[in-house]
Formats: sequence, structure tokens, C-alpha cells
Amino acid sequence: MASRDDFFDVSKASVRRSMVLFASGAVIGLLIAGYGLFTAKGTRSRGVPAEAVALVNQRQILRSDFMTQTQSQFAVPFEQSTRAQRMETIEAMIDEELMMQRGLEIDLPSYDPEVRNALVAGVELEVTADVLAQQPTPDELRGYYEQYKDRYSSEGVMQLRDLLSTSPADAPKAVEALRRGHALDAVIKQYGLVDSGRLMDAGHVDTGDIFQFAVRAKLDDALYAAASALRDGDISTPITLSDGVHLIVMIHHRWPVPQSFDVASNRVWSDFKKEAQAKVRAANLAYLHSRADIIVSPEYAH
Amino acid sequence: MLHSMLALIVIGALAAVLGGWISLRTKTNELLRREPDRLLGDAQMLQLADRLARPLYQVHCAVCHGRAFQGDPARGVPDLAKHAWLYGNNPVDVEHTILYGIRSGHPKARNLTDMPALVRSGQISAAEGRDVVEFLQGLAGNPYDEQASLRGRSIYYDKGNCYDCHANDARGVTDYGTPALIGPVYLYGGDRQTLYQSILDGRHGQCPAWVKVLSPVQIRALALYLVSATRASAN
Repeated sequence: MASRDDFFDVSKASVRRSMVLFASGAVIGLLIAGYGLFTAKGTRSRGVPAEAVALVNQRQILRSDFMTQTQSQFAVPFEQSTRAQRMETIEAMIDEELMMQRGLEIDLPSYDPEVRNALVAGVELEVTADVLAQQPTPDELRGYYEQYKDRYSSEGVMQLRDLLSTSPADAPKAVEALRRGHALDAVIKQYGLVDSGRLMDAGHVDTGDIFQFAVRAKLDDALYAAASALRDGDISTPITLSDGVHLIVMIHHRWPVPQSFDVASNRVWSDFKKEAQAKVRAANLAYLHSRADIIVSPEYAH
Repeated sequence: MLHSMLALIVIGALAAVLGGWISLRTKTNELLRREPDRLLGDAQMLQLADRLARPLYQVHCAVCHGRAFQGDPARGVPDLAKHAWLYGNNPVDVEHTILYGIRSGHPKARNLTDMPALVRSGQISAAEGRDVVEFLQGLAGNPYDEQASLRGRSIYYDKGNCYDCHANDARGVTDYGTPALIGPVYLYGGDRQTLYQSILDGRHGQCPAWVKVLSPVQIRALALYLVSATRASAN
């Protein structure tokens, strides 16, 4: 039989010590497990945590949200609100939580376009929230302006013709004649030139002023590049494309006027924010794609 | 005998730690469950809030709000020591601001209003902006240009729509979080150039949301600490 002193003498074996340590370990383990069980997220609990005013299917309605809601709903400081007002707020918040949970339960976002759009917009807002909230400094804006200065100018206007030569061999002759100052209509008739049909307005060839962005949208890149370099009365060299040989005749070209930073500052600010948002949105989508299991039908697979 | 004593001491210490923890948890729960306004009258609870919040304030808040709550006019951080509470100093409102922030990007953040760049956006001209500044100087009891102030007055109440957010008396509105424009405490400064700069470029002060960083009890303690400590410093 081990004596009482053996309990504390670690050099000697003691059944009692072993049992006490075993029991202590078990009790401490149970306490830790119990604490974790009743406080961990997702654990069912019968009690309402101190920070919450209600639990709806184990989801908390935060006390602070409840107080703010009561204040804004009844336009009184919380301490002056009546018990009836508070009960009304709690009931309304519980109802809202129940409806929201029901919406998720029946998978409302998967088939209701409005909920779906709201959800997508909400997630986008959440993702870009930091960018939206962050205000660029004047130095950042000026740096952005300097980097993309060519974007900030008044819109140019062109009055021009895009002609197609029916006889490609005659195209250089037509250019030569126009450059010598022959009348446009006479040259068109003499060398069999026709309008390409790219600069149309309501079914007719547009011979009036056209904004430069519209010219860019209507003409081929090569044609626009040639047109944007022409001054009043200039004729381009013949440009061969798949539909024939083109000649650009610039009647009048009002060039874009660069805007100073002060004049363009609002556009700079908005472009800066849009670009930052687009970057964050693209990064988020790339991340979502990377962790998603997406299978595309073979005919549309990359 | 010595060993028995040691065991008792260890057991006693463990019991004390456990008891202390249970007691603290009970008190922190009480801190959350009781109405914030009533807690302001409870010295014991305020002491607990102070103990919990003071180190948090120094770590998370003092970098902008200053160690003595003095704020930072360069960044538009209000001087809480002089009671420049943009959204009021009711503990419920303060707690909401700490939880979700101001223009923090959190959907529940305070962002009902934003000072627009009135001159940059072309809503009013630069000269009209300067006239509004003269009008505000007059309201604040400073020397001002009378003619410019008269013109500024009509901009303030009409074309500029300033009164809509800053109130008819230019003392600001806590519902919107708009600051007083006639002092005695200014958000960004009360000199002519600073006031004009606000009208020219607008202002977009921010406060981060702490809802995912601090626990509910820490946030409640911070709200109480801020309200009680700044009241004490004002007194």
C-alpha cells in the first residue's frame, strides 16, 4: 500500500496520483469541449449570446443593429424608446430574418432574375467596396492624367469621303488628280469612284460633320489611321483592303483639343475609379474561376 | 507537507483563475446586455469598459484620433475631446460608427452624405465658392466682406444647396454626419483657404469598420470609453 507521501514523490509509483491526474485531465478536457460546443459557430444553443437580441434558426440579430434600427424607425434615442416600440422592432427584424432564410432555403437567387441581379450587384459592391470608399489623392489623379493624357481632349469632328475605286489601276491617277485640285465630283465620275458605304447615316452617305469616335467605329482601323492623319483638303494614298482600293478625302478636319488637368479632373477621377474597380472585379472573377469546377459543353469548350 | 502546500497553492491559483474568468465573463455579458446609456451611470461598468477599451484605443484608434482624442484636421478626423461628434455622442450611435465605420465600404457604414466638389463639378463657380466662405466667416463672428457675404448667403441657401446638409445655421446635422461650418470646432479647419478647399474639391472622410476585427464586447467597451472619457476631458 503506497503511503500518503508517495502521492507527491514522483520517483515512486502511486495509483492514487495516477487516478487524480487522470480525473483532472478528463474534467479539464470536458470543460474545454463543453465551452467549445456551446460557443462555436454553427452550434445549436438555447441561450441568446450577450451580443445578440435574438437567435433565428441560430442566426444572431445583433443588439447594436437592433438599437440602431429602433432609433431610426421611431426617430428617438434608444433609451427613450418604449418597450412596445422595441418589441415591434424585434418582431420586424425576426420577420425579415425568417423571410431572408426562407429565400435561401428555396434557392430564390437561382431562378428569380431580380433577386439574382440584386445578389450579383451586392457581391460586386462588396468586392469593390474598398476601391469605392478609397479616395485618390490629387497626386494620384495627376499621375493618372499624365499617363493617359491623350484620352483627355475635346472630341474631334471630320467631314470626309471614303471612296472605293472600281478600277484599282486608276486609283493612283485619281489621287493625283484630286491633289492637283480637280473637283471631287468630276474625279469621281472620271475614274469610276463610288462611296464605300461605310460612312452612312439613315441609309444615305453621310457627307456632313461626323464625330471622330463615330468615324473610328465605322471605318476599318487602317482607314481610320489614314483619315486621322489628314488635314483639310488632304487625300490619302490608295489603301487596299479585302473589298477593294479605298481613297480617303478629308474635306474638313477639326482636331481634338487637349484638355488641361483642371478641365478634365472630373473625367480623370471617374476613369481612375472605374479602372480600379475593373481591376478588382477582374481579380475577383479570376479567383472565383480558379476555385470553381466549371464544365463547358464540348462545342463551346476552349 | 511542503508538497501538500504546493498542491493547495496550485489548486487555489487555478480556482482563482477560473473564478476570475467566470466573473469577467459575467461582467462583460452584463456590459453587452444592459442599455448603453444606463451603463454610463454605473461606475463599476465604466471602469470595466475603460480597462478593456483603453489599450484597444491606443492600438487601433489613436493613430487617427490622437492619444488625447484631439483628432487630426489634416485628415478630417474630428476633435472628440472638444465634442466634435459628427454623428452624435449617444453611445448607441458611437457603437454603430465603430462597428461599421464611415464610408468604409461596409453596406451598413455611415455614408448617407458626401461633401461634393461643388466648384470642380461646376455646380457653383470659384467666385461663388469664395463668397460662401465670406458668408460663413460672418456667421462665425469673424471679420468678413459684406458684399461677398450677401452673395454667399444666397449661394448657401439656394444654388449651392449647402443648408440642406449643414443646416440653416451652418452648425451641421448629426443625422447626416455633417460638420459645423462656423466653429467653434472645425473638422478640417476654419480658415478661408481650408473652407474654400472643401467647396472646391469636396471631402470624403473615412473611418474603418471594426465589426470583423474586434469582438462585440470590445466594441461596446470602446463606445462607452470614448463617450465617458471625452465627456470627462470636456469637463
